[in-house]
Amino acid sequence: MAEDLQRNFRSAYYEKVGFRGVEEKKSLEILLKDNPLDVEKLSTFSQRFPLPSMYRMHVWKVLLGILPPHTDSHPLVARYRQEQYEDVREALKAMRFVHAATPYTELYLRMHQLENQKLMRRSELTQPGEEDEDFLAIARAMEEIVDDPVDCYWLIRCFVNQFNHKFGDSIPHLPKSLEHFLSQEDSRLLAHLKTSGSLVLLPYSLWFRRCFAGSLPESSLQRVWDKVISGSCKILVFIALEILLSYKIMLMGTSRPEAVAKFLSNLPQENTDAIVTKAIDLWHKYCGTPMHSV
Amino acid sequence: MAKEQPNVFDLLPLLESTDLQDLEQVKSLLQENLSTDKGSLLVHGLVDYYLDTSSPQAVDILSSIREPHDKHLLDKMNECMAKQGCRLPTLTLLGHVVRKQPSWIHKIPRFPLLASLLKCLKTESDIVVLITGVLVLIIILPMIPQTSKQLLFEFFDIFGRLAAWNQRNPGHAQGVYAVHLHASVYSLFHRLYGMYPCNFVSYLRAHYSMKENVDTFEEVVKPMLEHVRIHPELVTGTKDYELDPIRWKRFETHDIVIECAKVSLDPKEASCEEGYSSLPDHVPRRPVDHSRSFSDLSSHGRSSFNSMATVRQSLSLSLPHLTVSQHACLSPQTPSLQGAEVTSSGMKEALWSPSSVCGMSTPPSSRGMSPTTVTDLSHSASHLSGRIPGTPVDGKWTPSASTPSGSSPLPSLSEELEHTVQTTSTTLPPAKANQEPIKELKKGTPTNINSKGVAADGLSPITLTELPDFVKTTERDREEDAITEELRTITQSKVDLLPKPALDSSFSSTTDSILPLNPSNDVLPCNLASTPERATNPAEGVDQHPPLSFWPCFTPIENSFSPCAADDPLVELSKGTCPYEPLFDLALPRLACLFVGKKMVEAQQKAGGHSEHREELEGEDLSTTSPLEVLDRLIQQGYDLHEKVLKRSPSLSSQSSESHSGGKHHSTKGKGVSPGAPDELALLRSQLLLLHNQLLYERHKREQHALRNRRLLRRVINATALEEQNNSMKAQLRLQEVETQALRVSLQEEQQRSKNLHQDHEALVQQLHSQVQQLQQERNEYHTKTQELQSDLQESQKRIGEMEAELQRANNKLCNTGHLLSQLSIKLNSSESMEQQMAFLNKQLLLLGEANKLCVEEIQRLGPEADKEHKMLQACSAREVERLRQSSIQQSQRLEAAQQRITDLEAQLTKKEHLILEQKKLLENVKSQAKGQLQASENRYLAQKHVTQALQSELLQLYSQIEINNLANSTPAGGTTEPSSPPKQSSNGNNTGPSTPAQTSEPSKREESSYMCVNGDLSLGSPPLTALINGSQEEDLSVLSCNSPLDVGSCPSAQSFLGIHNQELLNKRKSQYEEEPAPLISLSHGLQDPSLEPADKPQLGTSTEGTAAQALQEPPDLQPVDRPRARAYNIQRRRQQDLRIMDYNETH
Repeated sequence: MAEDLQRNFRSAYYEKVGFRGVEEKKSLEILLKDNPLDVEKLSTFSQRFPLPSMYRMHVWKVLLGILPPHTDSHPLVARYRQEQYEDVREALKAMRFVHAATPYTELYLRMHQLENQKLMRRSELTQPGEEDEDFLAIARAMEEIVDDPVDCYWLIRCFVNQFNHKFGDSIPHLPKSLEHFLSQEDSRLLAHLKTSGSLVLLPYSLWFRRCFAGSLPESSLQRVWDKVISGSCKILVFIALEILLSYKIMLMGTSRPEAVAKFLSNLPQENTDAIVTKAIDLWHKYCGTPMHSV
Repeated sequence: MAKEQPNVFDLLPLLESTDLQDLEQVKSLLQENLSTDKGSLLVHGLVDYYLDTSSPQAVDILSSIREPHDKHLLDKMNECMAKQGCRLPTLTLLGHVVRKQPSWIHKIPRFPLLASLLKCLKTESDIVVLITGVLVLIIILPMIPQTSKQLLFEFFDIFGRLAAWNQRNPGHAQGVYAVHLHASVYSLFHRLYGMYPCNFVSYLRAHYSMKENVDTFEEVVKPMLEHVRIHPELVTGTKDYELDPIRWKRFETHDIVIECAKVSLDPKEASCEEGYSSLPDHVPRRPVDHSRSFSDLSSHGRSSFNSMATVRQSLSLSLPHLTVSQHACLSPQTPSLQGAEVTSSGMKEALWSPSSVCGMSTPPSSRGMSPTTVTDLSHSASHLSGRIPGTPVDGKWTPSASTPSGSSPLPSLSEELEHTVQTTSTTLPPAKANQEPIKELKKGTPTNINSKGVAADGLSPITLTELPDFVKTTERDREEDAITEELRTITQSKVDLLPKPALDSSFSSTTDSILPLNPSNDVLPCNLASTPERATNPAEGVDQHPPLSFWPCFTPIENSFSPCAADDPLVELSKGTCPYEPLFDLALPRLACLFVGKKMVEAQQKAGGHSEHREELEGEDLSTTSPLEVLDRLIQQGYDLHEKVLKRSPSLSSQSSESHSGGKHHSTKGKGVSPGAPDELALLRSQLLLLHNQLLYERHKREQHALRNRRLLRRVINATALEEQNNSMKAQLRLQEVETQALRVSLQEEQQRSKNLHQDHEALVQQLHSQVQQLQQERNEYHTKTQELQSDLQESQKRIGEMEAELQRANNKLCNTGHLLSQLSIKLNSSESMEQQMAFLNKQLLLLGEANKLCVEEIQRLGPEADKEHKMLQACSAREVERLRQSSIQQSQRLEAAQQRITDLEAQLTKKEHLILEQKKLLENVKSQAKGQLQASENRYLAQKHVTQALQSELLQLYSQIEINNLANSTPAGGTTEPSSPPKQSSNGNNTGPSTPAQTSEPSKREESSYMCVNGDLSLGSPPLTALINGSQEEDLSVLSCNSPLDVGSCPSAQSFLGIHNQELLNKRKSQYEEEPAPLISLSHGLQDPSLEPADKPQLGTSTEGTAAQALQEPPDLQPVDRPRARAYNIQRRRQQDLRIMDYNETH
């Protein structure tokens, strides 16, 4: 009780001074103390607040179902996951799909394929398809974020599966939604993009299928993925919108759609944190803050 | 170009061609060349040519030069200025150019020419050059008013130097030069004082405060100062303000000239414009001047004009007809007074311009406007035509006279004629040039010109015919033959020129010089013979010392000391005043008496000796006259002398030319030096040049005045137009006032009418008012009456109310009494019935008393026995009641205890329920945990399966490769059999279909074992087995039991709390089975048989169990390895089943 009082007493000041995060970290710690973990509350928290990086992996794992809500069974399940990873890897090694020098991303791809029974025979190996490329991009980004290969594999696998499973249907509608919000935010830019024909050529697959993997630096990407993992794909639209708004001057300057697409595919790496922050604000503005309180 | 250049230079000599057409062609050619060629060559050539020949044509071209050439021209002139010999012609040229006022003249201060001009003026000692330079400078000054301080001081220095010239170099300037120099210095003084008064005065103050300059001041500058009034700028302006360019911006050149003239008091210099010169200032002075000029020239015609001018000046525009009448009456007077000189005076009148007579540099500005214009014009025309005989002669001789050679090419001509010719000839061409544009301008008013032309034509024959009488007829004849044509044109142009009064005034100096030609003969007989005498006098007495003798005669400085100054006006007035008496009476009453007195003196003078009078005149004139006048008079004298000489030897004109020429101008050179001295000739020529320059300067001044006049004329026209407008507006105003009056009258009428109406209306209103009041009174009366009636009504109503109340009261009383009556009757009735009852009751009482008596008797007879039994019964019942009460208390106590117990039990129950709920929660928790774990393991399993599949497919591929290899190596038959078996096996694992033999053996085995179990169930020897069989689900139990005894044995080891619970349940069932075994067996049988089939099916259907089954079904191969795994699997299964049992429990 005393501790709780102290927390409340401070929180008022934190809010005033503009600190965010201290209070939220406490809240998150309280959430993580629960047994079993309340996955719904966690996802709401993740949508409303930025995750502290020290808990990010753990929360992601729980949200993606890599770890069960029961804290007691975590070690056991973690062991299972590792064993499974080892088994599959060994099998792939045995089948000589991979060897010691194979990059991790390819290994993850093969493993994913194997688990989804999409693995070609070795003699029939072809160039990676579009879906595989998406997977590889996400894998590369995730590899940067996570150190442990087992965790990495599982995060990638579950992230991709969850993303495709949950948002597979809504992804084709995201460009439309982007157009809608752009018309509300800056109709002039939209008109320009429309007339120049760049609107159809925007890098939608990069944005919406790869979830900006490879487009944003990992530090910014984590915050985007926080929201995606916690169950919102709309955030992708707002990131895209905010990118367009931020580089509006440059976009208004060029009328060649190829140049626009090329520029947007290779965004400058600075200033992305600000873009993401603004995009999250925009997202909150248009979609409202999730109602679950911590 | 190169080809054309010499061509152009060749043309230059052609400029002197006498053929007019050629001349025109050459001129236009040269001008064209100038306009196309930007080079300086032609300009230089022209200048050189002019310096050589002083050709007027060259001057004409040079002075009309355009913008790009101005630099070349000025540079060239500057160059020429440096050469001593060229200075004079260069200055003359510069004078011509400057007088033309080209558009680029304002740039002149930027060129070195001005500097060199100033330098020349400061250093030059040749007086002719100096005078020429000063005149040029005077002309330039108003054109470049925005000078720097530096330049200004240079001007002042020049003034200082020239003013002191006579003092410093007494030997240098002979009399004539001195006069000229003095005149030009005087002009310069006026110009400087008019333009820069503050600076100039301060300069004068500084310069003449020095001791060595005092005498110069006294002699030269002070008299000059007498001729100017105080410049207003001296009061309001400052030195800097004078040099301010803004100040000068609003002035044009002629404005500045007029400004300068305004401050002058000298009639020769001053302007008569309104503003500066007020009337009282002018009036007394004018007559003096005029009369002086009369005294000089003694012409009545002139004086009439003169007075007219003054009158007009003083009376302004309002009296134009007066002047006309005066003029009309005066002209007839003239002959009557001076009968003998009628003709000569007529001539003089014709010759003299009024403006020059009255001494104004500008003619009255109102001229053009006044109705007298026509008469004036006719006059001027007439005197012009009189002049014409002189001018055409000059014009004719121009080419020959202008040659620089000392001897004239035409020896037959008289020298004096030649001289006059020269003086006028140079002036004429530019004059003509000026006239032409003016003529064009004037074409707008052709009627005027025509009338004038007619007048001139009418007059000219007379003068022409008269002329020979005064001049030598021989000359006249000779000239006439040669120049008839030219004369015509000139006359014509002159006539055209006349409408412009300023123009004819520009000729005043010309006329001055020409005048002596005509009147000299007549003048001498007249009372005024002063000039010729003066000429002779010095000639006789002072021949040997010309400079000395001249000094006192011509410089006004010395004469100013003469004591006769006071008498001067009187003397002068006395001369030509006779015809003007009425005029002066009219205009100047103050002077009138003086004139009467002086008339006597004049008469004396007429009769008496001339010499005395002449002496007087000289002294008086010179003391007050300005240098300009002195100059005029000098010229006049020269001419008079000349005439005299001519008269003496009229026929010897050609022979005595040289001697005459010497005496013509001045007695100094007159006869003493005349015989053939070449330097004398040069001297005379230079004098001529000076005169010419002076002439040009004057003419320039006139032109400026003319410009000014034109503008003033425009203003006057505007003013009169405005006045007209004003008058018309006034008339309109008057009309409107009349209208207003009418309106006012009608307004009054209307007001009266409305007043009447108003009164009527008021009367009516009063009448109505009285009516209304009457009616109101009536109404009030009625009102009071109704009120009275109403009060009556109320009273009667009140009375009625009272009566009604009384009535009611009476009624009430009646009712009461009636009621009382009825009550009394009822009481009466009841009392009657009571009496009856009383009687009846009394009877009864009697009867009862009888009966009571009887009863008492009876009781006494009976006794106390019956009461005992009754009492016993009462006690018995009381006891019974007590007993029942106690038992009821007991009962209630027991009830309470029971209730207590019930609550206890209920509490226990809720506690248990809580417990159960917690248990359930825990269970759920555990379940979900297990689910999570299970999912993980499931996942893992799936992965494993996929791995296996992948491995298998890989394996298959490898096999197929090997097979292909084998096919290639060995016989195809052996190869096929061996590899075919593994696929079968694998397919067996996946699909149940093809593996018939294994399948068939399996169920049979199972059936057997199940039977065994059933049997065992029945037999008492194996209770745990049966318990297992019955408790667990049949499908799995059968598998377990059939598998091996080891598995069965292991079953209890996994027993837990749940297992015990199961056992208990089994035991219960067992007891039931014991009671009725037969149906159970059949039941279990029936249950087991159908249940075996579905139990098998899911096992085989799901591939997971299939593999497990496969692993179990091949004990010989896999047993050592797979046993532990299978066992573990069993344990898991068991757990799962346990959970499922719990599920059932929950659902049930």
